Order: sequence, then structure tokens, then C-alpha cells
Amino acid sequence: MNGEAEPVPLRPLPLVDDASAGFWAAAREHRLAIQRCTACDRFNHAPSLACAACGSFDLAYADVSGKATLFSWTVIKEPPAPGFEGRVPLIVGIVELAEQPHLLMVANLLGLAEADLKLGLPLEVTFEQVSEEITLPQFVAAEG
Amino acid sequence: MWAFSNKVAIAGIGYSVLTRRSETPLLALAADAVAAACADAGLTRRVIDALVTSPGMPRYGGVKGTVEGIDVVNPWFLGEHMGIAGQVLYTGSTNGMVTQGFIDAALAVASGACTHAIVYRALHVPPGSYVNYESKYAADQFQYFAPYGFSGPPAWAATVMRRYFELYGYSRADMARYIADNRANCQLNPNGYWRGKPLAREDYFDARMIADPMSILDCDIPVDGCAALLLTSTERARDLRQKPALLTGFAHGTHSPPWSVPMTLEDIWTGCEQVAARLWDATGMGPHDFDNAHLYDGFSPFVYLWLEGLGIVPKGEGLSFLRDGHGSLGGKLPINTGGGALGEGRLHGMTQLAEAAAQVTDRAGERQVPGASRAIATISNGLTKATGFVICRDEGQ
Repeated sequence: MNGEAEPVPLRPLPLVDDASAGFWAAAREHRLAIQRCTACDRFNHAPSLACAACGSFDLAYADVSGKATLFSWTVIKEPPAPGFEGRVPLIVGIVELAEQPHLLMVANLLGLAEADLKLGLPLEVTFEQVSEEITLPQFVAAEG
Repeated sequence: MWAFSNKVAIAGIGYSVLTRRSETPLLALAADAVAAACADAGLTRRVIDALVTSPGMPRYGGVKGTVEGIDVVNPWFLGEHMGIAGQVLYTGSTNGMVTQGFIDAALAVASGACTHAIVYRALHVPPGSYVNYESKYAADQFQYFAPYGFSGPPAWAATVMRRYFELYGYSRADMARYIADNRANCQLNPNGYWRGKPLAREDYFDARMIADPMSILDCDIPVDGCAALLLTSTERARDLRQKPALLTGFAHGTHSPPWSVPMTLEDIWTGCEQVAARLWDATGMGPHDFDNAHLYDGFSPFVYLWLEGLGIVPKGEGLSFLRDGHGSLGGKLPINTGGGALGEGRLHGMTQLAEAAAQVTDRAGERQVPGASRAIATISNGLTKATGFVICRDEGQ
């Protein structure tokens, strides 16, 4: 041992690609931006190269309200990857964004206990910086 | 109706030993299963002219084994090492699921591209755990899952199970009977990994929780081993050692959830309904035409969601059907009579196909459904890459 602390392993980080760059760039600025099809106006998540509804390649990012409701969840009991050792039990939610039915996103539910969870629970986005480059959109209980 | 309905048959079923971590290389286990399937049909490897599988190791993140003969067994490699490469006319290995390959093999037999096709699935358990996302970066769809700790398939299934529980007021207690009865079925299956280890309903409550509400007993058991099926024309199969199990029809699923989530309850229903509609088109049959069912149980919720998606019971009633014992041996519709993948081991749907074939040929021993004549087998979770099959008794002789 040379006196240096053991490095704390990071959680897996997103490998940003051409389609996802706008999503992660917005999150870094604490904005939740979702792809929207310019041709048919439908929101599309996760980011892709073409609209799954109409096939258009003309997709752009649009800021959304960050309001959502709880669609489902799981409580992970065993660390699923390096970096999660101190984070279990870990609540993973599937949240439905307010802008469109079945516009779903995966996130951790922060500041909530298992007993608080129910379908339709109102949520809002928050942001958690996990590395120099990456900030994750996360969700907390909506105020009021 | 499918133009080749009942013209292709499963004529042989073969298994290697299924163990947790084998000292025997995967290549040898695959060769054992192929030899067993041939022997079952009263044939030798000399007649095999097609080899079909989906070879990949289903591991997400971290080291994914790709070494031929150790981690995976591709058809070309198996053919060379069984000394039959020179006689192989057709190979298939490009699909995501081996049961899609089963369809390719059936079509190759039906078209005359080959005469005796082997469909096999050889799986090797990686060192460590299947579900530890060790990679530093998560690419593609996983960039939206792995940073949140949502990289393991049991956790995905848990979100489906949770939503179903919340919508219909079920709890894990409602699944205890099915889990225990399914394990009892496995006690009657000579190939079953968990043979010799029955479960009580109470054991389900004490099971190690992986991703609540999914416990270890809701996940199939990963094994080292291989299962193989020999397909040939029904006409040829009638001259072989066993009664033929006829492929009456099949269907592929092509429904996907939004790319941002791996699976949802509603998308699984939609996908299962799509497979069902296509299967009824192919066979002229419907949801109440079966006396045994083999519904994919890589994760336990899929069993009751297939019951609902196929239209055998209404939405929300699949779990109460299992809770009340209607899917157990001796019940209204015996399901996964050999213990399914939960009991027999993870073979990606080969279990369901092999068991369907065994039932309609009166070869299921102590677990035989008396007079079983029409079996339905469904594989995967109903979403893209899912498949459905109707396998029937040969009434034509």
C-alpha cells in the first residue's frame, strides 16, 4: 500500500453515441430533452435514428416538463454491477413521462422508500452527476 | 393454414447431462446430445445433413465467452468435430433464439434442402454471474439501463411482475403452488437438473430475492449442457424408432416495446396476442384446443402472461389459474409437465419443444398426460424473437 485510497469503482457509464448525444448533453445542463419526430410530432425515447411511428429520419430534441408518474418498479437486492456495492437495496423505476402515453424511461427513484411506491405516483426529474462527463436524469416524488 | 402443416416431425430427442459447471467441454456435451437424438430415432450421425442453433452466450456486460467448443458451439464447428462436416447441406445460426432456428430447420426439411436436421442448444455458464455488468461503459440500449443498475434480465421481469401484482392485487404467495408443483414435475423428468430436490410451497417464501418481487426460484437455473432435436419429414419419421411428433404450425413474434425499456406488461400481452393470432392462422386451431401446454418459464411471470396472451384465460386471470392448480399435472391444462426451464435447466425453449414432443408421442413416462394429442409450446417473453408452436400426435397412420 502506498497510502493512496482504493479507487471507488464507478457505476457503468453511458457510452454516448450519435443518436444519444443530445439526451446526455441536455442532462449535463440539467434539462430533460426527449427526441421528437418533426414529421409526426411524436416523442421518441430511447433516442433512435428513425421515428418508430412514421419512419421519418427527421428527429430533433425538445425539452420536456420533467413530470412523470410511476409505471412500475423493482427493488434490486444484490449489486448488479461494480459501483453499486453500497447502493442496495436499489429502487429502479420505470416512469411514464407526462407528455405522451407509454413514453417510458428508466431511472432510480431517489429519496423514496419501498413503502411509498404505488402505480401512478407523481414524480419529477432531478439530476445526479456521476462522473466529470455524465449526469443522469433521476426522479423524486413531485412536490405538492 | 401452413402449406406444410404436419409434414415435418420431431423424430428424436436427445440430452447431454445437465450440470451447473461441467468438467466436460461444451463441444462434448453438444456431441452427446446430438448422438442421443440420433439414437432415439434409431439413426446414426451419418444421416445428419443440417445443423441449426443460436450459439451465443446470453451475458450482458463484462466478459462474454466466445471460444468455440468451450463457451459456444457453432454448427460448422460441431460438424467438423463430429466428422460429418462433409455431409452437411444446411446450417443455421444467425437468429437470436434457437427456437427461431427450429423454424428454419423445419422449413429446410419441408423444402427438401435437407432430410435430417439437428436443432441443438448448447449453453455454458460463464465464470462468476450471468448478471454482473462489469463493463465500464454501457453502449446502445444498455446506456439507459446499466447506469441505473437495471442491466439484469431478472430485474426487467420484476417490473412486469410488479405492475401485474399492483393492477390485479396479487402477491408472491399466489405463485407458490405453481413453483412447488412445477418442481414436482421435474422429479419425474430424467433430464431435470433439479430432479431429486423437491420444493415445498414455503420454500418459495424463503427464496433469495434477486430483484423484488423476482426471487431466485422465479429464474431458470443456468446449466452447462445441451439438448438436441432431430427433425425429418413425417413420411420418413413414420419408419423410424419412435412415433413422430408432428409440427402442425408455428409463429414468430415481431412486437417490441419502446426502446427505452426492455419489457413491459402491456407490450408482453400485445406480443403474445400477436404470436397467438399468427399461430391460429397457421394451424386453424384456437386457445382451447390443447390438452398440454409448454409455456416459456425462463422467468416465472411469462407462464401466466402466455396463458393470457394466448387467450386461454382472460387478462388478470393467469396467475389465479396457476394458484388454483389448473396448470399442474392432473389439472385442466397441465403446463411444463417436465418442470420447464425452472426445473430442467436453462436451454432457451428446447425444454418446451422437447416436452411437447414427448407428450404427444406417449413418451413422458410418469409425467405423461394420458392421451395427450395437441400440445402448444411458446418460447421467450412474447416480444420480438418469441415463437409459438403447435405439436400434435400423429393420427395419420
